[in-house]
Amino acid sequence: MRNLTITIVVFLFCLPVLMNSQSIINTKHNLSITSPGTVKATSESEICIFCHTPHNSSPRAPLWNKNATGTTYILYNSSTLDAVPGQPDGSSILCLSCHDGTIALGDVVSRPTSIAMTNTMTASGDLTTDLSNDHPVSFTYDAALATMDGELKTPPLLNVELDKNSKMQCTSCHDPHKDTNSKFLLASNEYSALCFSCHDKTYWSSSTHNTSTKTWNGTGTDPWSHLESAYANVSQNACANCHDSHNANGKPRLLKSLLEENNCLDCHNGNVANENIQTELAKVYRHNVYGYTGVHDPIEAISATTKHVECQDCHNPHASNANTASAPFVNGFSKGVSGVNQAGNAVSEATYTYEICYKCHAGNSWAPAPAFSRIINQNNVRLEFEPSNPSFHPVVSPRNNSEITSNLITPNTASTVLYCTDCHASNNSASVGPHGSIYPQILKMQYVTTDNTSESATNYELCYSCHNRNNIINDNNTFSEHKKHIVKEKAPCSICHDPHGISSTQGNSINNSNLINFRTGIVTPSSSGILRYEDTGVGTGRCYLTCHGENHNPQSYGGMGGMGKR
Amino acid sequence: MKTQNLFFTLSISLLMSTLGFGQNIAGSDHDFSGETWNPGGEICEVCHTPHNAVTGLTAPLWNHEVSTATYTLYTSTVSPSFDATASQPDGTSKLCLSCHDGTVAMDNFGGKTGGTDFMTGDHLLGTDLSNDHPISFTYDTALATTDGGLFDPATASSGLGSTIASDLLLANKVQCSSCHDVHNGSGVAKLLVKSNAGSALCLTCHNK
Repeated sequence: MRNLTITIVVFLFCLPVLMNSQSIINTKHNLSITSPGTVKATSESEICIFCHTPHNSSPRAPLWNKNATGTTYILYNSSTLDAVPGQPDGSSILCLSCHDGTIALGDVVSRPTSIAMTNTMTASGDLTTDLSNDHPVSFTYDAALATMDGELKTPPLLNVELDKNSKMQCTSCHDPHKDTNSKFLLASNEYSALCFSCHDKTYWSSSTHNTSTKTWNGTGTDPWSHLESAYANVSQNACANCHDSHNANGKPRLLKSLLEENNCLDCHNGNVANENIQTELAKVYRHNVYGYTGVHDPIEAISATTKHVECQDCHNPHASNANTASAPFVNGFSKGVSGVNQAGNAVSEATYTYEICYKCHAGNSWAPAPAFSRIINQNNVRLEFEPSNPSFHPVVSPRNNSEITSNLITPNTASTVLYCTDCHASNNSASVGPHGSIYPQILKMQYVTTDNTSESATNYELCYSCHNRNNIINDNNTFSEHKKHIVKEKAPCSICHDPHGISSTQGNSINNSNLINFRTGIVTPSSSGILRYEDTGVGTGRCYLTCHGENHNPQSYGGMGGMGKR
Repeated sequence: MKTQNLFFTLSISLLMSTLGFGQNIAGSDHDFSGETWNPGGEICEVCHTPHNAVTGLTAPLWNHEVSTATYTLYTSTVSPSFDATASQPDGTSKLCLSCHDGTVAMDNFGGKTGGTDFMTGDHLLGTDLSNDHPISFTYDTALATTDGGLFDPATASSGLGSTIASDLLLANKVQCSSCHDVHNGSGVAKLLVKSNAGSALCLTCHNK
């Protein structure tokens, strides 16, 4: 008999717990003394009272027990926002009764004095009256918005609930009474499933940021320290790798960091992603993403009008993947990035990698000046690589020049096409991009340009990675006086050769074949006042110039008569 | 042994608090025997009479003038999350509103009219009921299903011995009497049918 009594009593005591396993009672929104959280009443036992009262409520439904804050909120805005958020209304303005931090949690309409509380709302719960760092609410979300934006799903939406006026509100993502998915979310946000109920980012499904199961190695700063409860890997955290729904440091687009590059580099520093880009960006010659803040804008003119560089100028974090391509086609790491094509027209998505470089290096007013003064100067690399040029490196199209191709090192052939990044890239790095190098012009290998440099395999390592050094310095199948110039006279390659190419708008096939375009600081006119090269056929030509005290007026090379002065 | 005794004591206490033995209207908020506007000093007479009661009401021998007010309701236009069908107060709720809407004097009972003692303060609901919990709507299984945030009254326990429908509803409708026992049978403050500590009364119907 006694055992039965005990069993019944235990059951009676357990019953409420069992029944309330998914109830507000077990959530932080239970602000009564029985709250499982740290913010709770000192003696008040009623739970509903902090928001609702059965009689004489504020004029706001549902039987709202908090007065209106009367606050005018600072709203979210960004250059890419198509929705039109108004001042918070509907359920959102009710949530803000507490979550804007202006009214004490214990101040309710139905109690003459404030309910005494232990602790105040946490910083993460206090959105403040500045909502510019929070996901927008109280805007109409309809098919028209989805169409205008282009990266939003068309209602009806899965998991997310719009209110009866088709507005996005706090309650679109949160159920204040139920916390089975953490943060009172309507559905789990693992893999950002809830975000993707609305957001439809182009190429996301094949993006490495979607698929990577990489985890933080525990070194340095936790890239997910901005999250209260991060998942273990990149794929699971998804949008939250970079974005915060609330209280984001980078207000437009709700990025976790105001400093654009930090959103990338706390993973791409060797602690999560394979390659340590942060190290490359610390080198002397670099694309200095640290040098600009708040300049880059996703809707900026594709041909950049204001000098800057950010990771996002060359990478699309919603699209990047590990797929590889062959030159000149873009690799996966630059998928979905805008560019300027060879015709000089902006394209929303680059097909060829050089189109991405052209956004800044094709005649922009602030584009970096050429490294050296030459007879012909050109800072528009798009014009330098034009296939109709008298000579050019094969970035846009192959360069079938028999004088050169016979001296190329395998696998380079007459049909080879190069990426810009075959020369301009981080030195000594697994990453193939031009992030940073110890060599000027962010060159991948050594390319000494100082006059009177002793020829060696290492001093011209960059050139010799494609061009056969042995043939060049022994005058085989090439300019017959290479040895004299670069070995004996110690002239660097760059004195005579202009590596990108010579635009047909400035040069011609007689004076500018073989990438000839003399550096005027070193090469000066001949005694006749002439400074030029003349191509007279395969393996033959002549120069008018003065260099290293030698007067070529002109000096011919190659041909039946071999070298001889005229 | 001591532990078992403690359990036994607690179980009895629990039952006692649930059933609320020994409470009645005398001495409660509805005991008006000492009010100046009730010179007869009777408790029941303010609301009931054994003879010649007001007719035409769903009411037990009603003795108080009944309000004829038309009320502003708590409806779906007030709250977008309200799924029930609102209607003007009916049934026993109209009796409560005879005093609590403030249009009829409390001392207008026993055939008296022209009284001057009107309700004031927190007890006064007025004729605008849009800021009060809705009443006189049908709360059935269908509503619970539609709303999603309500227990099924046909099966869910009221905590008072049977189901919500059986213990708290009148003809499947929520009325004032769903939450309030006007005769103070439970002895709980505000004449509630059971304690609202931990919002237990709210959470009897609301599945939050």
